[in-house]
Amino acid sequence: MILLVISSVSLLLYEIEHKTSEWAILFENFVVTVFICEYLLRGWIYSDIHNLIIKQHEKTEYLGSTFHLHKVVKLIITNKLSYLFSPSAIIDLLAILPSYRPLRILRIFLIFRLFKLFRYSQSMQMFTGVLKNKRFELTTLAIFMSFLIFIASTAIYMFENQNTGGKVNDLYDAFYWAIVTVSTVGYGDITPVTTGGRLVTSALIIAGLGVLAFFTSIIVAAFNEKMSEFQEERIKARIEKLTDTTILCGFGRVGQDIARQLHANKHHFVIIDNNEQHVSLAKQQGYITLFADASKNSILEQAGINSGAKAVLCTTDNDITNVYITLTSRYLNPSITIISRANHEENAKKMLQAGASYIVQSFNIAGLLAAEYIGHPVAFEAIHGILHDQKDIQMEALSICGDCFLTGLPLAKVNFSQYKIRLIGVISKNPLHAKRRNRYKLHNQHFYFNPDPSFILYEGDILVLLGRQLGIEHLHDLIITSRLQKTLEKPL
Amino acid sequence: MNNNKIAIFGYNSMSFELVSQLNGKEKKLIILDADPVKIEQALQKELPAQLMDCRQDENLITLGIGSSVETIFCFLESDSENVFLTLSARVLDKKLKIISVVNQPESAEKLLAAGANKIIDPFEICSKKAYQLLTKPSITWLLDEAVFGRADLHMAEILIPKNSYLDRTLISELHLNELYNLFLIGVVDKELGEKLYFSLGEQDHVLDTGDILVVLGSSRDIKNFKKEIGVIE
Repeated sequence: MILLVISSVSLLLYEIEHKTSEWAILFENFVVTVFICEYLLRGWIYSDIHNLIIKQHEKTEYLGSTFHLHKVVKLIITNKLSYLFSPSAIIDLLAILPSYRPLRILRIFLIFRLFKLFRYSQSMQMFTGVLKNKRFELTTLAIFMSFLIFIASTAIYMFENQNTGGKVNDLYDAFYWAIVTVSTVGYGDITPVTTGGRLVTSALIIAGLGVLAFFTSIIVAAFNEKMSEFQEERIKARIEKLTDTTILCGFGRVGQDIARQLHANKHHFVIIDNNEQHVSLAKQQGYITLFADASKNSILEQAGINSGAKAVLCTTDNDITNVYITLTSRYLNPSITIISRANHEENAKKMLQAGASYIVQSFNIAGLLAAEYIGHPVAFEAIHGILHDQKDIQMEALSICGDCFLTGLPLAKVNFSQYKIRLIGVISKNPLHAKRRNRYKLHNQHFYFNPDPSFILYEGDILVLLGRQLGIEHLHDLIITSRLQKTLEKPL
Repeated sequence: MNNNKIAIFGYNSMSFELVSQLNGKEKKLIILDADPVKIEQALQKELPAQLMDCRQDENLITLGIGSSVETIFCFLESDSENVFLTLSARVLDKKLKIISVVNQPESAEKLLAAGANKIIDPFEICSKKAYQLLTKPSITWLLDEAVFGRADLHMAEILIPKNSYLDRTLISELHLNELYNLFLIGVVDKELGEKLYFSLGEQDHVLDTGDILVVLGSSRDIKNFKKEIGVIE
């Protein structure tokens, strides 16, 4: 639509100097038709006629009075009229009217098509919003300005009319001069020659400076007030576009660290924190941040807990807050993954009760890890390395999808060593595996450690692998491509 | 001579976890704290605790640093206290194993410079863990089990003893998976230094006395294997 408006106006400018071609006329007609359609459709949807009739009918039935059609029609007409006189509708109409040949004189109003742009551009709407907010100040200023201009133009006309040897021929000249002067533009085509005229001019220039400064400050103040609101709007719009987001509540030490990792691995996330310092830090890093209390329903909804989010992380350093956020999130979305941080042992249970999927007990893990160091320093290093992704050795889980080349194969036939990967075990829900040895319970599934070579892989099984990133990625690619190939072959 | 005492400075949830984890391993433990209230709490839980001001060198010496203490954990509240303790302990004993907790990332280097062998950053571990839970929950579960041994799945280090039949064998000939139901994670080949080589089939190692195998498996299988190679009778 914006393109249409711009092209039609540029065509108009082109036509001023050049002859119109057939195509141009055709295009012009097309644009006007589109505009007319838009105008009518907007009028159509402005109010719902059906609703009005039904409501009126219900009302009369309820009150036991008779149903008058003319009353309803009157109501509809007033509704439609209010559309006709709304500023945006007037602009639309003015953009269409000049195309009607007998009204060609109104060509200038074709420029109004540019005003149509206002309707489509958000920043323009924002600007008008700002102006609307400051309506009172602006009207005061306008009234003051008109007084000033009125006084100045009459004064200059009195001092500088042709009888006194001045250049001001009539009141229109005086008005034009006053405007040029008050705006501090001062073309100099009309200049005062008498002492009185010069005095008026000086006074007007000083007043003009004041008016300008006042005007600018009003606009700036209005923008300042609105800016944070607009930024929030923009953040909201950005969040709405995201999918698979993680909501990170709390941007303290732990939150910052997690954010860094999420960012490095290109995951989407939204930060919620009510500490000003934390928020400004997050904003500096360019993360999407909401400056709010994460335990409020509306904030979590804004962050997309019911739309794009896949997990909530409660990482504030306060256990009570974490429990509360967990509870709120679970209430809002029963199926989302919630990972909560517990600083004290006794709070972990409460968090599970509140609905957390996983608990991270920061000091506990540290203590456990330290204990491990005593018994197995080498193993400790290995785990530490894997845990922290320091080396490119990774433990990774790959799931087997329905059509990939591994489905139905016994492990003996899968040559993991070819990819320089080793299989630690398989995670599966499949009851077919239930009789195998080395079974460990894992939530609602089982982990089969060191499975036999006869272990057959089925759809949905998850391989737990140890290997270099390169090898694991390679196998992952193979699984994906083999699945794609199978799905491509199927229709044939 | 008994020189495998472990001293833990500072009583908090972290040291509590550490102690409960280590209790089963028959090591001599002692918790030290300058705050009588905390010592009281520890004693209530029947943990060996003692009131001590760790800023005094004499106290450290009487405790046994430089003689009977093998490892110390610095779990004090502030980084500066930990650095001070690390420094004083390092001066008293060059071979002491010092593991310290660090709260601010910038203190990590200071602690290492002061002589700590290993530093633990609870915040970092917490965030890594949370991130892992988010991206690969099943792996995290597995590591949890292996590290913290909640299920019967453990990680163990096996030092190859003298005159073991494993001496001079190749890793590829071990067949731990099939024979012992163990998963070999990696090996420290003393000929090549202290580094852990993950066993991914990239290169083969010849095992000698003193090499360390890192394996994953159930405690029964690990025990069987240890018996087999003559680590335990």
